[in-house]
Amino acid sequence: MTAEVYSNNVSFTYDHADEPAVINTMLSIPSGQCVVLCGASGCGKTTYSRIINGLIPQFFHGEFNGEQRTCGFDTAAESIDRLTPVVGSVFQNPKTQYFNAKVIDELAFPAENMGLEPEAINHRIVQTAQRFAIEPLLDRSIFHLSGGQKQRIALAAATMLHPKLLVLDEPTSNLDKVAIAEMRELIAQLKASGMTIVVAEHRLAWLNGIADRYVIFDNGRISHEYEASEFLALSPGCIAAMGLRTLDLQPYRQRIALLESQTNERELTASNMGDGSGSASMQHNLAQPSSSNSRPLLSTRHLSIGYRGRDGFSRTIPDLDFYSGQIIGLMGHNGCGKTTLVRTLTGLIKPVSGKVMLNGKPAKPRDLTRTGFLVMQDVNYQLFSDSVREELLLGLNETDPAIIERCNQVLEDLDLTQFVDRHPMSLSGGQKQRVAIGSALMCGKDLIILDEPTSGLDRYHMEQVGELLHQLAAQGKTVLVVTHDEELAAGWCTSIINLEHPYSKTE
Amino acid sequence: MLLDPRTKLFLLLAANLMLFFHVSVITQIIMVLLFLVPLAVAGRWKMTANFGLTFAVLTGLGFLDPDAFGLPWLHVVAALSVGCTMMLPCFITGAYAFTTTSPSAFICAMRRMHAPESVVIPCVVVIRFFPTIAEDYRQIRNAMALRGIASGGWGLVRHPAQSLEYIFIPLLMNATNVAQDLSVAALTKGLGREGVHTSRTEIRMRIVDWLMMIVVMIPLVLDIARVIR
Repeated sequence: MTAEVYSNNVSFTYDHADEPAVINTMLSIPSGQCVVLCGASGCGKTTYSRIINGLIPQFFHGEFNGEQRTCGFDTAAESIDRLTPVVGSVFQNPKTQYFNAKVIDELAFPAENMGLEPEAINHRIVQTAQRFAIEPLLDRSIFHLSGGQKQRIALAAATMLHPKLLVLDEPTSNLDKVAIAEMRELIAQLKASGMTIVVAEHRLAWLNGIADRYVIFDNGRISHEYEASEFLALSPGCIAAMGLRTLDLQPYRQRIALLESQTNERELTASNMGDGSGSASMQHNLAQPSSSNSRPLLSTRHLSIGYRGRDGFSRTIPDLDFYSGQIIGLMGHNGCGKTTLVRTLTGLIKPVSGKVMLNGKPAKPRDLTRTGFLVMQDVNYQLFSDSVREELLLGLNETDPAIIERCNQVLEDLDLTQFVDRHPMSLSGGQKQRVAIGSALMCGKDLIILDEPTSGLDRYHMEQVGELLHQLAAQGKTVLVVTHDEELAAGWCTSIINLEHPYSKTE
Repeated sequence: MLLDPRTKLFLLLAANLMLFFHVSVITQIIMVLLFLVPLAVAGRWKMTANFGLTFAVLTGLGFLDPDAFGLPWLHVVAALSVGCTMMLPCFITGAYAFTTTSPSAFICAMRRMHAPESVVIPCVVVIRFFPTIAEDYRQIRNAMALRGIASGGWGLVRHPAQSLEYIFIPLLMNATNVAQDLSVAALTKGLGREGVHTSRTEIRMRIVDWLMMIVVMIPLVLDIARVIR
């Protein structure tokens, strides 16, 4: 039999879980195929990918039933080490899947563990580095690489032993557009070399033309299986109904381009009217036309942002105005300064030069920290209390009836009432996000910034975040979203700033 | 120019022996100066300066004579600083061993010493962890500043217990996640595999390594033999 992956009636329930994560799965993947596992969050696709690469039942414990053969090995009976040379794995988080500090050591790592001779290892490193075009990175520290570069290294390391099967678990959830395109190229190349590839993914568009089959999971079961041609012919509505992300990003990209040009245009009319602080200033006036007379909550003037130190850089930012009720998407590839801008706007770092104005007056970083709130990509860092209610009341007077009233209102608005007494860490990612936003609302913040709020989310949860942005804007907050997610940006943002092609008209 | 990982572990051991034998202040000063040399040579200027300064201040405080000042509470300060001075050499050598060694060199050294895998793997994970903790700490401090909790330089000093809780809970929560991800990645790459492991990182004991070990042992042995008092 030439099936690299063969599952016969496989079920798995994690320890301490009530419901099985994967139920009675039957699947056979012949050698050389590229199969995409998709479905909503919690549908079992990640669990199934772990069953394939042997992490279940050997690392993640629980009740395992059925027969699983991967590259001919019975994963339940044989040690996971037998799979090391034949199965390569790439995971979701670029930051936590490399073990060594230097790129070259990371590439050598699997080969060293297999006991290959040093010369043979060095030879393979040269080969692999060429194949993945990472020669210039070999002596760099992985810590200082971008997310896209880290995932490229992870993929390279996973193929060092020339495995027959590659298992990828949401490899693009932290990547930008360019890095995803690069990932696509690498996967296509590996597939062409005859490797069998299994990808569990939310974002589907980048796999068009590479995937041979799509397997859709729903509540732990395989609900549909499609050949690529059948699947790509499905209507967008049908894809959406299955809770899947879009297969065609083109309309979204057009919408983003439109929003971006409108944003720039509004700026132009504003400066023609002689509005603002001087003719020479380039202004991104992001206001809704109706509110262009009101004063912006926050504006930047001749701002230059950056860091000092070893990885220091600085760049100038066009003059921007942020009004209340807006949802501004901040886009651009990794490393173009989005995070630094956000940190400057919230006063966490000082601008290199120029000013940030708050309600028309120059603001100190301290004032900005008091006005703005940042929902971090890793929201675990910003939850400090034992229960959701305490989290919202942290630092406030818990005996003041007005504050308790407001807390209850915020809980209700954010759909958190049923979790009031739960520990924040026991909640799902989206719920944690809402708790963090709730804490910002309780502190009376006017500017709410979200950093990549939809990375790794399925369509339903992405839309939920979008609705939340809407709700915040409707309450009069200024909402700024840093995102690579084109579906989110096109669907919910009222204006888009792309830091990649900064606005610079000379008139 | 770096020392061999085995020498670094030896320095760590020597620092622990100092604590164990309760060496005199003079020996302490000599040893700390010796320990700071490789740290400076490794280019960790800031760390060297910080450790040096802390040690100098603590040693100075330890010499304070509370009775001469007529301030009895100074006894507490003096006793605390003596305690901290004794721990400091361990921190210095520990920081040197764990921040200047790459995981691959460390694995290689431990395996050469025939350390059991159950010792090697946790040590490597710790080394891999250090930079993560620094980054996590910065993130958490930012998050605290945004919430207006114990922000600013003095915030930590004014509410130490509360601040520690706010820092440690997210830090530990995150550490468990990172530990799981790292284990999974290492497992699929065969870190725990039985059989021979090789290494392309070359480590070698050189003359400097032997010299360093001998030089460090001299004051320690002299102190234990009661020559230095």
